[in-house]
Order: sequence, then C-alpha cells, then structure tokens
Amino acid sequence: MIDLALQTVPGVADGLLPAAVLALTALLLFGIDTINPKEDSLALLCGISVGGSLLALALAGSLLAAGYEATPVYGDALMIDGTSLFFTLVFASVTALVSVASYDYLRDQDYCAEFYALVLFAATGMSLMAAANSLATAFVALELTSLPSYALVAFLKTDEGSVEAGLKYFLVGALASAVLVFGISLVYAATGAMTFSAIAEAMVGAGDVAGVLGLGVVMIAGGVAFKMAAVPFHFWAPEAYEGAPAPVSGFLSSASKAAGFALAFRIFVGAFPVEMAVPMGVDWVLVFQILAVGTMTLGNFAAATQENIKRMLAYSSVGHAGYALIGLAALSAGGPNGNVLGASMAHLFVYGFMNTGAFLFVAMAEHWGVGRTLEDYNGLAATAPVASVAMTVFMFSLAGLPPFGGFFSKYVLFYAAVESGFWWLAAVGAVNSALSLFYYSRVVKALWFEEATVPLEIGRRPVGLYVSVLAAALGTLILLPLFGPVVETAQTVAAALF
Amino acid sequence: MAAFDFAPLIVLLPFTSFFVAVAAAIWRPNILPKGGALPGIAATAGSLLVSLWVAVEVLGGGRTAETVYVWSTGVGDAPELVFSLLLDPLSALMLLIVSLVATLVHVFSLGYMNDEDETGLPRYYAGLGLFTASMLGFVVAGNLLMAFIFFELVGLCSYLLIGFWFREAGPPSAAKKAFLVTRFGDYFFLVGVAGVFATFGSAAFAGPESFPAVAEAALTGEASVRTFGFGTQTWFSVLGFLILGGVVGKSAQYPLHTWLPDAMEGPTPVSALIHAATMVAAGVYLIARIYGFYALLPTVLAAIALVGGFTALFAATMGLVKREIKQVLAYSTISQYGYMMLGLGAGGYVAATFHLMTHAFFKALLFLGAGSVIIAMHHNEDMWDMGGLRKRMPVTYVTFLAGSLALAGIVPFAGFWSKDEVLYEALVHGLGGSPILLAAYGMGLVAVLFTGFYTFRMVLLTFHGDPRTELARNPHGVGWNVKAPLVVLGVLATTAGFLNMVPVHELLGFPPEYLHDWLAHDGGRSAFAGLTSEHYGELLHDWAGYSTVELSAILPGLVSLGLALLGAGGAYALYAGDDPEEHTEKLGAAKTVLYNNYYQDEYQVWLTDSVVKPLSRTMDTFDQGVVDGTVNTVSSVSLFSGRRLRRIQTGVVSNYAVLLTLGLTALVLVVGVLGGWFA
Repeated sequence: MIDLALQTVPGVADGLLPAAVLALTALLLFGIDTINPKEDSLALLCGISVGGSLLALALAGSLLAAGYEATPVYGDALMIDGTSLFFTLVFASVTALVSVASYDYLRDQDYCAEFYALVLFAATGMSLMAAANSLATAFVALELTSLPSYALVAFLKTDEGSVEAGLKYFLVGALASAVLVFGISLVYAATGAMTFSAIAEAMVGAGDVAGVLGLGVVMIAGGVAFKMAAVPFHFWAPEAYEGAPAPVSGFLSSASKAAGFALAFRIFVGAFPVEMAVPMGVDWVLVFQILAVGTMTLGNFAAATQENIKRMLAYSSVGHAGYALIGLAALSAGGPNGNVLGASMAHLFVYGFMNTGAFLFVAMAEHWGVGRTLEDYNGLAATAPVASVAMTVFMFSLAGLPPFGGFFSKYVLFYAAVESGFWWLAAVGAVNSALSLFYYSRVVKALWFEEATVPLEIGRRPVGLYVSVLAAALGTLILLPLFGPVVETAQTVAAALF
Repeated sequence: MAAFDFAPLIVLLPFTSFFVAVAAAIWRPNILPKGGALPGIAATAGSLLVSLWVAVEVLGGGRTAETVYVWSTGVGDAPELVFSLLLDPLSALMLLIVSLVATLVHVFSLGYMNDEDETGLPRYYAGLGLFTASMLGFVVAGNLLMAFIFFELVGLCSYLLIGFWFREAGPPSAAKKAFLVTRFGDYFFLVGVAGVFATFGSAAFAGPESFPAVAEAALTGEASVRTFGFGTQTWFSVLGFLILGGVVGKSAQYPLHTWLPDAMEGPTPVSALIHAATMVAAGVYLIARIYGFYALLPTVLAAIALVGGFTALFAATMGLVKREIKQVLAYSTISQYGYMMLGLGAGGYVAATFHLMTHAFFKALLFLGAGSVIIAMHHNEDMWDMGGLRKRMPVTYVTFLAGSLALAGIVPFAGFWSKDEVLYEALVHGLGGSPILLAAYGMGLVAVLFTGFYTFRMVLLTFHGDPRTELARNPHGVGWNVKAPLVVLGVLATTAGFLNMVPVHELLGFPPEYLHDWLAHDGGRSAFAGLTSEHYGELLHDWAGYSTVELSAILPGLVSLGLALLGAGGAYALYAGDDPEEHTEKLGAAKTVLYNNYYQDEYQVWLTDSVVKPLSRTMDTFDQGVVDGTVNTVSSVSLFSGRRLRRIQTGVVSNYAVLLTLGLTALVLVVGVLGGWFA
C-alpha cells in the first residue's frame, strides 16, 4: 500500500520540511549527546532546539502564506495542506517557547540534551499527527508524540511526584492507545481501507456492518480524546501536569492537546464525512457533543475548587478542550462547517500562547521557590510586577475577557456555533466561560490585591523564563490586531478539508 | 477652500490651551503667566480669526460637509461612525458668536479671577478652554452622534466650572445638580441618537443621505425606513421628542430649568459663557441644526412652541422678585431661551437664530457687567445692598444699560428686533391656521411686560438712587480687562439688531434683511439645499401645515414695544427714587410662591423621594434577591459539585482505568442505541 520509492521525487516533500527540520534538530541533539554525553553547554543545546523550532515555524509560516496546495505524499499516508501547516505553526511556536523557558529550569539538571531531543521528537510526532492521512500513520504519529511525553513527565527522576505522574500517564496512555488501535482494526474490518479517502469511499457499502464501523469510530474518538484530555479520558491530565516539570506541563497542555485535535479533525472530517456517517447511524457528532458539554462543564467546575495552581490550570485546560470540541460537535451536513472548524483551530492557536504562558509563569514561580497553592502567590506582583502583568494577561485571556486574544477566539467560536444552529453549545460554553472567570480572577486577586504572608525573596531573574513568558504575553496581545488574519486563514484551511 | 482646511483649528486651538493648562497645572503650576489666561486668550482669538475667515468663505458661497475621522467602520449594513465637519451659514454664524464671546470672557477673567488673586487658575483656564473647544466642536458637528459627544463634553465642562470653588458648600452641590438634571434630559437624547441610527442608518446632518432628507423622502414614500411598527410620522415624532429631551435639559426649559439658577454659584465669567454662548445655547442650536427634521413634525413643533412660550412667561415671573443680580439674570436667560424655542416651534427658524445671536451678545454683556458690579461690591450680589453705582462705574453703567434695553426689547437695541420677529412669526403662523401657536404667542407677549419690569428693577436698584451700604459708597475699581469686553459687547448689543430689521425693511424697503439672506441660500450647492431657510419654509408648509397671513410687522412690533415700555415704566414708578422701597411684600402669598420658584425644586425632590426612591428600592430588592440570589445559587451549586468532582480524582490509576472504560462503554451504548446498531 505504501510505496516509498515514489517519494524520492524531489520537490514533493516541500511541505514536509517543517516536520523534517524538527526531526533533524532532534537527531542533531541526539548526536551531540551520543558523541559527548557530558556536554553541559546548556546554551548550545537550548540554542539548537530554539533555532530548529523557529526554523520550522518560519518554514511553516511561509508555506502557509504562499497558499500551499494540498499534496498527498508517501502514497497518501500523509497529507500536507493548510491545516497541517497551520497546526505545525502552533506546535513550533509552543516548542520554541518551552525550549527557551527550559533553559533556566534545566540549569541544575542532568541529561539536558535528552530533554530537548524528547521535546523535539514529540513536536515532530505532533506535526505528523496534523498531517496524517491514514489510520496507520495516525497511530504511529500519535505514539511518536506520546512516548517522549511520558519520558518528559517523568524527567525529574529523583522527584517522586514526577515519576509517579509519568507512570500514571503512561498507564492511562497505554489503555487509550489500546482502545485506539482496537478502534482502527474495527474500522479496517468494516471498510478494508486505511487511508481516509479510501475509508470514506468504502463507507458507502458498509451499511450492513454499521455497528462494527460505529464501534470502531467511537473507540477512535476515545483514543484521540485521551490526547485532547477530554472527559472521561482526562484523568491523567491533572496528575501529569502537576507532577511534570512546569514547562513540560505547558507543552503537553498546549501543543499535545492541539495535536489531538488536529488528528481528530483529520480523521473525522476526512474518513467519516458527516453527511455519510450520520445517516448510517454512526453519529460521531453526537459523541463529540456529549464530550464537549461534559468536558467544558466538568473541567470548569473542577477547576473552580482547586487550591493548587497547576491543578487549577490542568482543569482549565480540560475546560478549554471542551470549547475546542465545539469545532467537531457543531458540524452538520451542509452547515458552515469550515467556519466552525476554523474557529476551533483559531482558538487552539490563541490557546497555545496563553496557556503555555500561564504554565511558564508557574515554572518561574517554582524556580523562585514560591509554593504551589494559590495562597503562596499572594502579593507576588509586588516583587515581580512585569511577570505578574503577563500572568494577568494570560488569566483574563483564558477567561475570555475583552480585549485579549482569548476573547476574540471564543467569540468567533461561539458565533460560528450559533451560525451552524448549535446555539445551545454556545450557551453552555458561555455559561462555563462566565464560571471560569471566577477561578482565573482568583489568581489575579492573589497576585495584586492580597498581602504576602511570608516576605518573598526572589533571587535571580531567570532570563529564559522571562523571555518566554513575555513572548507568550506579547503573542496573546499581538493576536488582538492579528486575530482577523489568523481566523481567516484557519477558516480557509478548514474549509478546504470538507 | 483654504479656509475650510483650517476649520479644524477652530476646535483644536482651545483644546490645545486646555491641554497646556492641564499640563502646567500638573507639572509646573507657576510656569504659565497669568495662570494660563494668555494661552487661552491666544487660542480663542485664533479660533475667532479662523471663524471669521470661514464666515467670509461661506459668504462667498462656500459650504462643506466632510468626514474628518472614521472611528468605527460598520460591519455589513451597520452605519459608519465618524467625526465630520459641517460648515454652512448657521454653523459659521454660531462659530463667530461662540469664539467671540469666549475670547471676551477669557479677557474679562483676567479682571475677575487673576486680579482678585483666586487660586487654582490653571484649573479654571483649563476648564474654559475645554468648554470652548467642546462647544465649538458641537457647532461644527456634521452628525448627530458627534453632536451628542460634544454636547456631553459641554455638560461635563459646565459641571467642572460651576463647581470651581469646590471647597465651599454651594458650588459642588450646584454643579452636581446641573450635571444630573441635564443628564436626565440627555438620557432621552441618547436613546434618540440610537433611534435615529436604527431608523435611518445614518445620523448625518447634510446631504441626500442625511437623516432629515431621508425622513422627508420616507414621508413622501420615496424611501423606506424602519419604524418599528409605528406610523412613519408617529415614529419620527417619537424620535423628535427624544432628542427634544436633551434640548429641554440643556436649554433649561420647563420642567428641567431648575439647574440653571443654582448654576450661578460658578464664577461670573463662566455664567456669561454658559448663558450666552455655550451650554444653554447648545440645546436651541441643536434644534436649529436639525430643523429639516423638526419641520416635518407638527406635533413636536407645537410642543416646542408651547414649552417655549410657557417657559418665557414662567421664568419671567420668577425674575420679578429676586434680590441677587445674578438670579435676575438667570431667570431672564431661561425666559429668553423660551422665546427662541417659541420661535423655532412657530416656524421662525431665522427669527430664533437671530434671537440666539442677539441674546448671546446682550446676555454676555449683562453677565460681564454684573461681574464688574460684583468685583466692585467685593462679591456681594444683593441688589438691595447696592444703589448709586452709576456715578462710580460709568463704563459699566452705560454698557449694562445698553444690555438691559436690549433685554427688555426697547427699540432700537438688538433684543427688540429679534424678540419682535420671534413674536411676529408666532402670530402670523398662529393666525394662518395653527391656532395653538396663538396661545404660545400670548404667553410670550405677557412675558415682554414682565421682562421690561424686572430688567429695569435690576438697573434701578443697582445703579440708581443713593448708595445703600458702605460697600456701594466705596466700590472697588475695575481695570481695562473688564471694561474692554463690556464696550465691545455694548456696541454689539446696540447694533446687532440692524442685521435684520423686519419692520423697517417693510416700511422703507431698505436696508436688506441680512440674516434672512444669509440663511436662505445654498450658495449654489445643491447638496446643501436641505439646510436653507427656504427649504425649511417649504417643509413647514407641506408637512406641518404652517401658512402665513398677510400681516404688517409694524403693529405687532408696536404692541410688544408698548408692553416693554409699560413694564419698564412700572419699574421706574416703583423703584426710581433715591431710596426705593421693597414692594415685593405687597404681593403677599404670590411673593412667597415666586420667591420659592413655584416650589419646582421641592416638587422634584418630592418626586424623587416618593416615586423614584421606592422604585429603586424595589429594583434593589429584586436585584439582591432574585438576580444575585440566582447567581449565588449557581455558584454555590457549582462549587459544591466541583468539590464532589474532585473526589473522583482519587489518585489511584486503576480507578482511572475503570472510569475511562466505563465512560467509553456508556458512550458506545448511547450512540449505538440511538444509531440502531443493535437492531
């Protein structure tokens, strides 16, 4: 089915360049580690990692700006198009931010080269997930993302929390992978095809095995829901985010989640078109509606009662997965599907900046030895005003307050849902957003309005963390004027999927 | 069109002086010579020069309506929101009036504020600068929203300036009252602005797309507008009344006039500015500006005329018994703006504009004259403590007398010609088939008698007879900076009426009625044809059913002159001697009523206490109980369930695996049953 020989034609792999750059950077880091395991020039490793991800970012950006034409490569195993490039943009941005931020975090750690290599391998896997055009590549790409992620969560080998989180993440992840691969096999059994377009064609004749196909589809949905951290596949998320090094938490909750969405968009729009699947009784839109409502509600409700900031952010990221799920839940035959899906993609884009930024702020607080609960953040603004301003921007943007990026992306998302006739999804989203303001503003209140219980001494100002937090804040703010082009691009590339 | 290119400077110059004064007040309080007066004088004088230039250009047929700045582009069909300039004869005339009076008030302030060693001068001049800039911006506004924005700025500035002496008890309270009462009217105006946008999709004043033009087209059936289920004319009348709410508040018409007498707590030059050229004038100017809209609405016009006539009479009666010189002037202002409203409502667009102009001059003069007296009297304003100032302050006396003759409407002073024309318009249109205007005319006519009386009572008590106190025997001298503005305004109060001598023109066919000619033509630009008095005349005839009877202007003119002289003579008979008596006691109960301003304040306070407050309390109960209650319930439910949800997260990974599997199974069951997989 896959004829690699065909793909030696030069030029075809143009659109794969960003992913290739990420992979090569990872290999380069591996190479350095192999040749000189004692390499401890953190600046060099960080520089390579940041350079590689920025190069990938620039390549993806320029290809996207040039209006890249959809190109199937490797015998339809991958599809390079606007959507894959758009998501690569998100992944590369988050990778760059996280790499810069890790510079300070890794100062006293060993195996730094491995850390960066793992991050970049995961990023490679993510951009392949966004380009997957067959269930086989989808699974391989997903595992390529997951395996480095497990290792990254457990990176602090001497820290009990980190190791425990890594193990839990791995166990739940293994279960989810099993579900996914079982789902894939059922779909293959029903349609006899692996590439998405072939599955879509084969569905016409699969009416009498709709049950088998449907079971497979729901299980695939479960598999990708694990990556998105959607309820009830979210249990790993609070534990993993809490235990993992904060930059890794940021990476997982932003990029890895977005990758899950990218894969879901690909599979469900490409392989199981709404207009065919729903009449057959394979109503995956309903699945995502249930997931969306459950995820939004549970994520926000649980976040409201957390005292630990990282857990609060973890549940908030579960809540945001719920919003983004509207992109799949509000699809309908003949509806303005491109707008809905594009809005969801744009939300993930904005979310990439604001959520990563929030986790990086937590990383900075950890770096200073500030505790992990909300109370420990009391009066932090007095000692670190610039970073606190950035955190305030992230919190308000996550809550969806104007005039920050998060407001526009949510607005467009809910508007698109209403436009498609799913006003109730938008209503649930709006109510949840209002609730979320409660717990986000608690952080802001603690930072600015509470008195510090213990006088806070912060030593060094970590350069890398500052740079990345400010870059993320800048990203969140620049998205005010730039949001128009972003959402237009997202909706254009999304419309091309249908 | 060079002059028009510089027109934005008219607004920007005083704004700059505001900015300079604020900056100085914040960083270097002593850097500005004269506390910021000089930049203010330079800026307003600059505005005056550019206004003159613009007026010359307009005289030569120039007109413009241009967009200066688009601050919100509409999505889809939504209207664009812009700042635009409209320069036509009306706005050019008003620019001249406002910038002239503002300049003179700045100069006068040198004497009233600087020479009296007041503190906080940069704040004072900052306020004056912004006040002037706001009013000028309002005058040149090319659309209703922009007009509303500057209208509000004018209100804000009057608040700041009335409350200038905020450490005393009276001024802050008066400032708040002025702000709140006018705000009450402006609330209706704001709804009206929104209504105009919703109805016409445009709020421009000029051109074929302007809302008066669209309204006319809609009435003839050539255009369709949203009327929200009302009849077209009914809905337009609703809009007209809403906008009128702002006018009634700002121009201190009954029943929202109560703020104006209290506003006397501000510095006297500010009162001059408020009464003559800015705040109060803004309301009447607004109606004149969109007269093409009001001319379509006979109901609203009749209401305007009645409110105007009633206010003219009502305020004049209250002016009869006041003791303080500025109080008399305050009620005269309310009364005179009543005449302008009467003129507008009665179809006398030119007459009302004329009276707006002459009143600006003579009322500025009277206030500045009163200010001069107040300086001399060491800030004692009680007329019964004055007397005999004539000999000690000759310049002030002569100019004040000119202003008083104009106010009373004695020929040939400016006020006679304009007030006479207002009354004449009301009479001819009233006789011409709109009898309701005759009632308004009657009230206006009686008010002439009272005006003559209170004006000369004021002059006689202040300047004539023997000095009644030591203060009046040895008044404080006033400088050139007080006298010069008085002389300029004195000349104008005497001569401005010659611009438009309707009865003389009728008698001799000469001289031309300059103001009629000024406002009548579009300068050969058809886009501005909708803003001419000729066009308004047609609209009034076609839509409001106003027609005129052939009637000489001479006899009505003689009647009102006779009444004014009668009132003045009455005052002379009662108060002329060396040592006049207080006759007000003889009025008995009527005096108490008049002295208490017909208990208007009391009844408004009663309304607040017994209607508004209980209503507010009910709303508060509803808000606290139902709205907040719901919200609080929701939040406690969600926090409670959040705590429950936390318990699911046990930390035991096998529990997670179970929950995950059960969740997936549930999903499969739901979708499967609904999808008919098990059938």
